[in-house]
Amino acid sequence: MTVAAVPAPEAVLEREAVRSWKVPIALGIFTAVALILFVLLGRDGESTFRLSTETDAFRLPDLTIPTRPGGILVTVLLAAITAFSVLRARSAQRTPLWLVALFGVLFVLGFLTWASAGAAVPMSGLLAGTLGLSVPLIFGALGGVIGERVGVVNVAIEGQLLAGAFASAVVASITQQPLVGLLGAMVAGVLVSFVLAAFSIKYIVDQVIVGVVLNVLVTGLTSFFFSIVLTPNAALLNSPPKFERIRIPFLADIPVLGPALFRQTIIVYVMYLAVPLVWYCLFKTRWGLRLRAVGEHPQAADTVGINVARTRFWNVSLAGAIAGFGGAYLTLGAVGAFNKEMTAGAGFIALAAVIFGRWDPIRATLAALLFGFAQNLQNVLSIIGAPVPSEFMLMLPYVVTIVAVAGLVGQVRAPAASGKPYIKS
Amino acid sequence: MRRSFALRLVPVLGVASLLLAACAPAPEQGGAAGGGEENADYCARMVTNSGGLEDRSFNQASWAGLEQAAEEFGIEADVLVSTSETDLEPNVDQAVGSGCQFVLTVGFELADATLAAAEANPEIHFSIVDEVVDAENVKPIVFDTAQASYLAGYLAAGVSKTGVVGTFGGGNQPPVTLFMDGFVDGVARYNEMHGAAVRVLGWDKAAQDGVFTGDFENVNLGKTTAQGLIDQGADVILPVAGQVGEGAAAAALEAGDVSLIWVDSDGYETLPEEYRPILLTSVIKNTTDAVVEIVGDDIDGTFSSDPFIGTLENGGVGIAPFHDLESLVPAELADELTQLQEDIISGAITVESPSAP
Repeated sequence: MTVAAVPAPEAVLEREAVRSWKVPIALGIFTAVALILFVLLGRDGESTFRLSTETDAFRLPDLTIPTRPGGILVTVLLAAITAFSVLRARSAQRTPLWLVALFGVLFVLGFLTWASAGAAVPMSGLLAGTLGLSVPLIFGALGGVIGERVGVVNVAIEGQLLAGAFASAVVASITQQPLVGLLGAMVAGVLVSFVLAAFSIKYIVDQVIVGVVLNVLVTGLTSFFFSIVLTPNAALLNSPPKFERIRIPFLADIPVLGPALFRQTIIVYVMYLAVPLVWYCLFKTRWGLRLRAVGEHPQAADTVGINVARTRFWNVSLAGAIAGFGGAYLTLGAVGAFNKEMTAGAGFIALAAVIFGRWDPIRATLAALLFGFAQNLQNVLSIIGAPVPSEFMLMLPYVVTIVAVAGLVGQVRAPAASGKPYIKS
Repeated sequence: MRRSFALRLVPVLGVASLLLAACAPAPEQGGAAGGGEENADYCARMVTNSGGLEDRSFNQASWAGLEQAAEEFGIEADVLVSTSETDLEPNVDQAVGSGCQFVLTVGFELADATLAAAEANPEIHFSIVDEVVDAENVKPIVFDTAQASYLAGYLAAGVSKTGVVGTFGGGNQPPVTLFMDGFVDGVARYNEMHGAAVRVLGWDKAAQDGVFTGDFENVNLGKTTAQGLIDQGADVILPVAGQVGEGAAAAALEAGDVSLIWVDSDGYETLPEEYRPILLTSVIKNTTDAVVEIVGDDIDGTFSSDPFIGTLENGGVGIAPFHDLESLVPAELADELTQLQEDIISGAITVESPSAP
């Protein structure tokens, strides 16, 4: 095989022809929304942002912003970024991603200011809730990234989370040891993965179909055992001890971020380590290289002596263990007892985060956090009585996800062999 | 070449998972045979909604009623458990096909199936819990829960130290918002009587809109929602969202100083024991007794399609004892609640709600 040499001038011409108006148009639309909402429909009064909780070591005063002038300021800044983006597009340059992110943050701040006229938004509560809703999504997304990178589409994240939640509650109740419960959650996640791996790798069944069926299977099994076994024996089988929150000295006293990030259970601290660890291993180690090779071009990997089936099998199992661990957060980390279908679709959102995060552990984590933030923002705003109907507020997380996927991510490329079985010929 | 151990495991796991799959949807046939002989030819069937039988809510309470009726009147009763929306209609058809005289369906999801079956089988008597179905042979069992949650709101306002109480629902539906309407009015009544200014977060009665989790399963979201209410100063919380409320209980327990009002059943009995120290009271719907009464009427031949409306007067709704938190409720407040209950029963106070049955 020879690679065709591309003449240099042609490449330059092609570059000049790329003039994408997508970003400026998207920014323009949002600026228009801001203009209508924050300025024309602007609300009078003052918006308060509470920066400290009552348990903070040193407390910051509340930040109070007059609502309408604040909205105007934000709109002006948004318009400036949009104008800059238009200029960049005219000279065929791309708008830097950080600027788009800044635009997003400004828009959210403007929206918060507008919606909270006459009320107080607890900032660390907003962030703590975000994290609380994101943890299962992040673990699920990590499991999804590993699965897809090795070439197996993991639609069964929902099932793995649910199995993890169920097993952790039961095991921790019996042993009265939450740590053993975590182990149980990982084993349960691995068991679900075994079935997925077996059918998709050995028997070459369509991976998406196996995943969907597994979700239904785990939902049915856990609901069945919940009704028949757990409910009548709740004291013995469904009253797990919860993890205590661990306060990390000094870090926990950072204003706004401290209470949200560093007064958490061990599961969340493990997550802080797991995300960079998975990223590092995936992109900087031999294991990661092999894993990605199997997911991109299994035949090539096979040729150089990597056992494709085995690599896939064990890495899908590992993905299941991580997702199962995340399921334990719902019980041991958050509410204690297991409840029927308590994952409530978190696995599917995690799957979206995998794609939104372009199969990268860190980006997928950010995507999961974005979803959690939108969901909690909806909560906080409806509590302070924002002038938006609750039905619309409930759509907010999904709208944000769709806008983010369509507007920011654009075209993405999955690992080449993701979802395709490898048949050794 | 040595084949990996993992791949050899595969067929075993495959078979095992199929076997397990086979037991999952097994319908429950928890038959309750009759105690006496006098009504041996009378039988009753119940169809649950997708919440299943152990939902700590109306399915469980309705079945308890039917079991009690079986015991009391010596009839035969059985239940068909639905596990998803697609089970509802077939289950109703199966219940009708069993040849029983009485079919009880539970939940508004079953309204269409019940109406269709009732029209096709005019000789069978139906009853539906929590929904009004208009047909000659269907007796709706509904509850004016606003009356009881009015008392709960008054109590919450009286107990609150921060002057802020909160509520949230699973979805913006009449059976849910009925609780919230009564709660808000109860707080308003307290403010009026005591010149207080207790605020309610989470429900705006005039706008008929408020805080909802959007489902009845996501316990973790329930916890965050309750935490949001607590962040705004609420120290008594009324979650009207089925098991999602358990998340609110977890948040209240973690926060300390926050108490909880459960709905449908006495949470002191039905929730995990760890939550007992924070349970102020519960707004109870007495589905069990209503079912027993209606089955009894049908056996006696006095079945009618007039809706059964549970009220404070007939004991269909009420508030639970304060249990462990009795010390929080001053004697005067308890007396005022008793007086309030009498006033509602006598009609001196009417609790109004657009969702009232």
